[in-house]
Formats: sequence, structure tokens, C-alpha cells
Amino acid sequence: MTVSLFAQLLINGLAMGMLYILVVLGFDLILRVTNIFNFAHGEFYMLGAYALYFTCVVLQLPFIVALILSVIALALLGGICYIGVFQWVQRRFKPGMPFTYLLLTSAMASIGLRMIFSQGALVSFGTTARAVPSVFPQMIAIGDVSIPAERLATIVIGLVVLAGLYLLMFKTKLGKSMRAVSLDAVASSLQGINPSRTYLVGFAVGCGLCGIAGGIIAPIFAVTTDMAGHMLFLALLVMLLGGIGSYKGAILGGIIVGLLLSFGYHFIGGLSELFLFISAIVLLIFKPGGILGEARD
Amino acid sequence: MKHGINQKIPASRSIGLFVIGVLLIVLPFLLKSPYIMHIVIMTFIGIVLGMTFSMIYSVGRISLGAGAFYAIGAYASALLAMKLGLSFWLALPLATIITGIIALGLGSVILKGSGLSFGVISLLFALVIVQATGQVPFFGGWGGFWGIPAPDPLPVPFHTPIEFVRKTPYYYLILSLFLLIVLGFHALYTSRIGRTWRAIKLSPQLAETLGINLYRYRLLAFVIASTAAGVVGSFFSHYNRVIEPGAFGGFFSIYIQLYSVLGGLEFYILGPVVGSTIVTFVPEFLRVAEEFEPIITGVVLVVVILFFPGGILGTLQKFLRFDIASIFARTSKGVKALLLRVGNVRQ
Repeated sequence: MTVSLFAQLLINGLAMGMLYILVVLGFDLILRVTNIFNFAHGEFYMLGAYALYFTCVVLQLPFIVALILSVIALALLGGICYIGVFQWVQRRFKPGMPFTYLLLTSAMASIGLRMIFSQGALVSFGTTARAVPSVFPQMIAIGDVSIPAERLATIVIGLVVLAGLYLLMFKTKLGKSMRAVSLDAVASSLQGINPSRTYLVGFAVGCGLCGIAGGIIAPIFAVTTDMAGHMLFLALLVMLLGGIGSYKGAILGGIIVGLLLSFGYHFIGGLSELFLFISAIVLLIFKPGGILGEARD
Repeated sequence: MKHGINQKIPASRSIGLFVIGVLLIVLPFLLKSPYIMHIVIMTFIGIVLGMTFSMIYSVGRISLGAGAFYAIGAYASALLAMKLGLSFWLALPLATIITGIIALGLGSVILKGSGLSFGVISLLFALVIVQATGQVPFFGGWGGFWGIPAPDPLPVPFHTPIEFVRKTPYYYLILSLFLLIVLGFHALYTSRIGRTWRAIKLSPQLAETLGINLYRYRLLAFVIASTAAGVVGSFFSHYNRVIEPGAFGGFFSIYIQLYSVLGGLEFYILGPVVGSTIVTFVPEFLRVAEEFEPIITGVVLVVVILFFPGGILGTLQKFLRFDIASIFARTSKGVKALLLRVGNVRQ
């Protein structure tokens, strides 16, 4: 294996890993703050890519403006979904209810939402793949190693978003209230936090993260309506591998899965996904909480 | 309690059951269209799969990979028939046993963990099955198996052997498998084992204090449910004669839950019957708007979850005082009595 091949696979793996991290952090945030298992999350990612296509190609806006606009659009959509559907799901949750019941109710509601979104997208956008022109078409050459700039840009944007998310969650009052609500909604409402507003914000932020992931993938791959399902399952895998409810776990899991798939596809082809899923099951059997998480009932 | 355990089925109900039974037997003579027959057969498969999901739910676990063992049954049966040249009548029991062994192996490991890890590992397992059958050429690859042999003709006394060419013999085959599974499940739910399952569902902690081994009873439910899914899987591969991994994907498993949830989660047998029938037949009547059909299904699902959490049967029971409860469901008082009975504790 040459150095240049290794570097390319490494950068590709890290770029894909960054996408998984963004999607998983959104999923995890929603799961922890609102206790909703959102199967429609892959669809939000797909809609994020379409939102970027619309703003960037149809409206001809510069990439950064288009990205910000599509993230805002996705956050708004998430907020609407929360108010329209998940708020009512949550009303059925009572303290002390078994987690399996919460899981089932929210999963079924979000599957309904998923069907609406995916078929709605198919009806309105059709099956043709949309292409967004590459924003950074240059190749960066270091010695005999040449790396596509857009992959590096993906990693950089992802890192900026992660830093922003860190500041939001740990340095602002809003983030503090989200973490408090995820620990105990009743106790935090006694401390003057408005849980329903926090739920809404948490859901919107989670969907906004999906919008970013969909937005930065759009210039790299074609935008289609069937990109949602695969991403959802990989994101679930990353979340389980890293540990549910752990930011570090999500980041570690995303990097591991991204690198494994990048190297795996190149050396053993499609079998790599099979090995990934099997090894994840074996790991979860011995360490049910994932690498860095705690097992939860 | 009025709704006792050994309560005899009243006369009006046995007449109802008799009418339904006669209707099921003469159904092929009423429906001439092979397409409708195909949908009816697929409805029966859907009902059994929904019942397997409900059985695992009845011990307080949510399986997100309910389609995995259906796929295992289908592939085991197809492999036995294609690679070893076994007849369907031998492949069906063997595939059932193989499914049961795999379920025992997987269940004995994943049932030790929490409810969440059970759910997600079962989903991952369903995805592994799809990947394994797709990627490994021995299992047919992404193209799947084509030309799986139909069941051999069944010799019948005083009659020419029954050939499995048209839909009608397949209908009677799945009907008999379905009735066997329903009777078996019903017998289990009303037996001591079923009462123990209800106790576990109501309160695992309380059940444990009464000396019930949660793990062992959950494993029993998991293995029985998965084996039933394997039976219909084996039937499906010889009925459809083509199986491919795409048909058993992750969302297939998730849609199985829809049958149980839509019908009513607390109705372990009748719920999937109602849910599967509605989910399979209603889109057929909505053919006008074919491309909008998943959207309508999605809206219906969201509305049912939000406003009718008991599912269709639960809502009917609540508003019309529908008395299906006496056979299948229970009141909380009844369960308390059951708990005491299971633990052999006198009040």
C-alpha cells in the first residue's frame, strides 16, 4: 500500500466519519433530551441534502449562505414535526413507564413520519439524482500525496460544528437546561426550566445537525431520495458502538466506522459492512453499553 | 372474577367461531381472482409475523428485527431444497428446527441485557441477515434464489394427489399452518406459561420476587416466536419460489410491528389479525392514488399512535364496550389474582 493511497483512504474515512458523527449527535441529542427514538432521522438528513440543492443550485446562493439557510430550514422543519407529532407522543409518557414502551411508541410515530417524508420526497423530487457542483474542486498535493479538498473541507466544517455544539451544550444556559432535562425533566422544571421549550429546542438542534450533514454531503455525492435508510442504519450502528448518550462515544464510533468502511470497501469490498455489523453485535453482547457508554434499561 | 381462566366459551361465541371457520374454508370458492388469493395468503403470513412480535412484546421486550427469523426460515428452506434437493415436506420441519436453534443461540445471549440493547441488537441482527445473504454467494447473493421447487404433490386417499400449481392448495396449506400456530399460541397464552408471561409483562420486579426466572421465560417466548416466524418463512420461499435479500431489509422488520400496534398491542392474537388485514387490504382499495398510498399509511399510523394508543381493538373495546376482553385480554384485577396464583401465594 502506497503512502498516497493510505492518505486518501484515511481522509475519505475521516470525512465519512464526520458525517456519521453529525447525524449521530443529532439522533443522540433527540433521544436523550426528549426520549424519542427518531426513525425519521435519516429522512431529515436526506431533506438537508435537498435543501442545499435548492438553495445552492436553484437559488444560486454562495455555499456557506446556502448551508446556513438549509440548516435553519431543517431546524424549523424539526420544530414543526415536534409540535405536530412528537409533543403529543410525549404527553403519553408517564414517569416510571418502561423504556420499551417509550421506545415503541416514539418509534412507531416516527416510522409514520418517515413514510410520509420519504414518499413525499419521491413524489415531489422524482427518482433522478440531483448533483450539486463541487465547491472545492481542487486537489491538495503534499509531495506525491494528493487529497481532494472537498473531503478536507468536510472535516473542517464538521470540526467547527462540533466546537459550536460543545459551546452550546456546555457553555450556555440553553445547553445546561437541555442536559438538565435529559437527566430529569421533573426535577429540572422545579428549578425553573421550561421542559416543553427545551424539548422543542433539542429536537430542532438535532434536526439542524442533520441538515449540516446533508448539506456537506450534497456536493460530494449525488442527492437521491434513497440515501436516508442506509444512513439511518449506519448512524444507529455508530451510536450503539460508541455508547448511547456519550458525545465522546459518538465521535469515537463515527471515526472507527468511517475508517473501517473506507479501508474495508477498498480491500474486501462489500463484505466489510457484514463484518462491521457482526463485530458490532459481538461487541454489544460483551459490552452492552457500547465502548464509552453505560448500559441503560 | 368473571373473566376466569378456565371459563367456557359461551354458545354465541362458538357459533361465531364456527361461522368464521366455515368462511375461511370456503373462501377460495368465493374469490376467483388469483391476485386477491395472493393478497390473502400474504395477509396470513403478516398475521403470523405480527403474532411473533406480540409474543416477544408479551414478555416486555421490543424486537426491532422481527423479520430476521422469517428470513432465516425462508433461506434455510431454500438452501435445503436447492443444495440438498430435499422436498418441501422435509425442508419445512428442518428449516423450523434450524430457525429454532439459531433463535436459541442468539436469544440466550441478547436476552441477558437491557430492553434497549435487546431492541437494537435484534435490529442489527436483521441487517446482518440481509448483508450476509446478499454478500455471500453461497446464500444466493443480492440476486437471491430463483426457481425454488414447489411442494411435492400431496397424496390423498380416494383422490388424485394435490398438485401445488394454483393458489388454492397454497391457501389451504398456509391456513392449516396458521391455525396450528394460532391454536398453539392461544394454548400457550392461557396455560401456566402464558400467565407467567403476563406477570413478567406487568411487573418484572414483582414477578422475580415470586420466584419466576425472567430470563428463562423470556427465552422461551423468544424461541417459540422465532420458530413460528421460521415456519411461515419456509412456506413463503416455496410459495413465492423466489427469495432475495432486499425483501427482508431493516424496514421490513419495522413494518411488522405496524400490524401489532395498529390492531392493538394488548391483543396478542386478534391484534395482528386486524392490523395485518387492514394494512394489506386498505392500500388495495386505495389503488387510485398508488403513489400517495405510503403517505396515507404514514398519516394513519401517526394518527393511530397519537390518538388511539390502544390500537383499533383497544379503542373499539373502550368506546363500544366490545367484549373481546373475556377471551384474550385481562383486567388488572385479574392479573393480580394471576400473579398470586403463579407464585402459589394465598391472600
